[in-house]
Amino acid sequence: MKLDIFEKLEILSDAAKYDASCSSSGSNRKNTANGLGNGHFSGICHSWGADGRCISLLKILFTNACIYDCKYCINRRNNNVRRATFTPREVADLTINFYKRNYIEGLFLSSAVIKAPDYTMELLIQTTKILREEYSFNGYIHCKTIPGCSKDLIDELGKLVDRMSINIELPSSNSLKLLAPQKEKTDILSPMTYVSKNIKLNKLDKNKYKENFVPAGQTTQLIIGATPESDLKILKLSESLYNKFNLKRVYYSAYISINNDKNLPSLASPPLLRENRLYQADWLLRYYGFTANELLNETHPNFNTILDPKCDWALRNLDKFPIEVNKADYSTLLKIPGIGILSAKKIIRARRNGLLDFIALKKLGISLKRAKYFITCKGKYFEKVYKFNENFIETNLVYQERNSLLNTDFKQLSLFDKLQPTKEDKIKCLTGNL
Amino acid sequence: MSNWKLINKTYIYDGTFDGLLTIVFDSYLNKTLPQKIVSSNNYINNFLDNTFLIKTDYEKSKKTFDNIVMNICKDALYNTYYAFLSNDKEKEINILKYLCNGFDIGSEINNKITISYVFKVINLRRKALSECHKLKGLLRFKEIYNNLCYSTIHPDNNILEPLGKHFINRMPKMQFIIHDKNRDLCFIYNSKEYRIIESTNIKIPSVSSDEIAYQELWKLFFNTISIRERTNLKCQMQFMPKKYWKDLIEEP
Repeated sequence: MKLDIFEKLEILSDAAKYDASCSSSGSNRKNTANGLGNGHFSGICHSWGADGRCISLLKILFTNACIYDCKYCINRRNNNVRRATFTPREVADLTINFYKRNYIEGLFLSSAVIKAPDYTMELLIQTTKILREEYSFNGYIHCKTIPGCSKDLIDELGKLVDRMSINIELPSSNSLKLLAPQKEKTDILSPMTYVSKNIKLNKLDKNKYKENFVPAGQTTQLIIGATPESDLKILKLSESLYNKFNLKRVYYSAYISINNDKNLPSLASPPLLRENRLYQADWLLRYYGFTANELLNETHPNFNTILDPKCDWALRNLDKFPIEVNKADYSTLLKIPGIGILSAKKIIRARRNGLLDFIALKKLGISLKRAKYFITCKGKYFEKVYKFNENFIETNLVYQERNSLLNTDFKQLSLFDKLQPTKEDKIKCLTGNL
Repeated sequence: MSNWKLINKTYIYDGTFDGLLTIVFDSYLNKTLPQKIVSSNNYINNFLDNTFLIKTDYEKSKKTFDNIVMNICKDALYNTYYAFLSNDKEKEINILKYLCNGFDIGSEINNKITISYVFKVINLRRKALSECHKLKGLLRFKEIYNNLCYSTIHPDNNILEPLGKHFINRMPKMQFIIHDKNRDLCFIYNSKEYRIIESTNIKIPSVSSDEIAYQELWKLFFNTISIRERTNLKCQMQFMPKKYWKDLIEEP
């Protein structure tokens, strides 16, 4: 084996690491008789890196030799970094050999723009063609759409891959002008519109379109903290992306200061807590029936640093509580802080066989840590919840969060400390899974 | 099931799924519940126990098997099978109670999760399946020579069969061995059929130079892909408990 493949892999995986997306879910592509690999609908994580993010795909750039000069990006043209470019064959061989050894679930191929958008796109297509046609590889492939490429190429790539994504990165057109002056908003949004339209058409008319088109859907990524947008603005953008473009996921990536530029903030550490709050809210949008305007508004444009978005919402809407667990329907149960999809389903199943009390809930393995302040069982409050008002509940919730914080860090809190992220903020279970 | 007779006996069976289903058949017929059910290879003799040896009867187990699907539901069969694969010490007695009550009331049994043995059986299934899912990701094959792969695992639950089948679907043209070192069982697939055998000191020849190069490439990738500014070893450990580390190629 040639030695320089080591160097290329080092450079091009290092350059790809800032992309948050890593999931291998959403596709159940079947294996062919002589083929290698299949899709797993819920995705499989194969390892976890030192940053706690899951590794499920071989995440690499095809090249990092970019013609653009986006200020936030490590691969911008004016940066003095080592440059490398794979050949389509090298990427395909690496993927197959990693896959056979069960290191990965598939390939996540992204790229800097080399020469021109269409030229780059053609290289990505060549690579996936070798994998799908020559090696009969049926594992997961996630490819980036290159901003500004032509529609024919999107058509071609879409038939080969499971998932496509195009990163918006900056959440407003002002920020885009400021930090990525060579990219136009339409360069990003028009391929996204085109892909989502085609996915819809393909699903509607299975007879006309024999091949699947991007079966695992489309995703995008937003950078958090490089520009001054509020959480409300970002969440509203995500909401409209889900509604208008039918995206599968919006990823949020806490900005890490890698370049120095007068237009960029210099942050001591990436805003991980803010990123986590956005992920929590994102889940609430997609699975819990919340809207962005319910969670945040002009008077509260940013998320609470101590309480998670659902608790925060519940405290501001105490008139909707307490909820009687034996009577509330599924969508109402989901609005209780601390009750997730699994717990809500468990409650619904269990209460068919008689009324539930707090002991029964505990037996079912439902966490009452937060929920106890917001529910009644058979008309009764939890025994230690003797007051039902905002002050009492908020004090207790904040106290709980701070308590768990003390346990994890083993250090005294001082009045002058900035609030630290809570225990569960540190467990970044949301990134990359599901 | 409330009027069933509790008998002061410890059943000892051969540790197979068929053996357990035989017990279920007999117990349901006689309406008796034993005190304990233990697999013969786990049993430590205790002079207070009133032991009773169960002989596996394939006809009885086949009947029970069919009856679970017909009179309870398919999901109950999966609950039973995966709970059986788990390494819980009291799984047998819980499965017995779960099935016998299930025969009485049908598929409604799966909703009665407030009954402790139903909850336990469903939980054991979830435990076994979640470990199986985790190992689908964490298992690492080493290529010994062209298209023959070998892998070792140390799972808590006996999940060799569902795990092996996953890889058959995925790589039907490959040949592979998955070696469960905790139980000394081997899942062997020769690109046509599979078999699970008790291993007798499998000797693995040293791997090829290509294999070592790919292992090095993987380690390189593993180390470069994480972001230094976001280091969070606690979170990594939570997803990838240390007990699985010894079978990995990478060094977390």
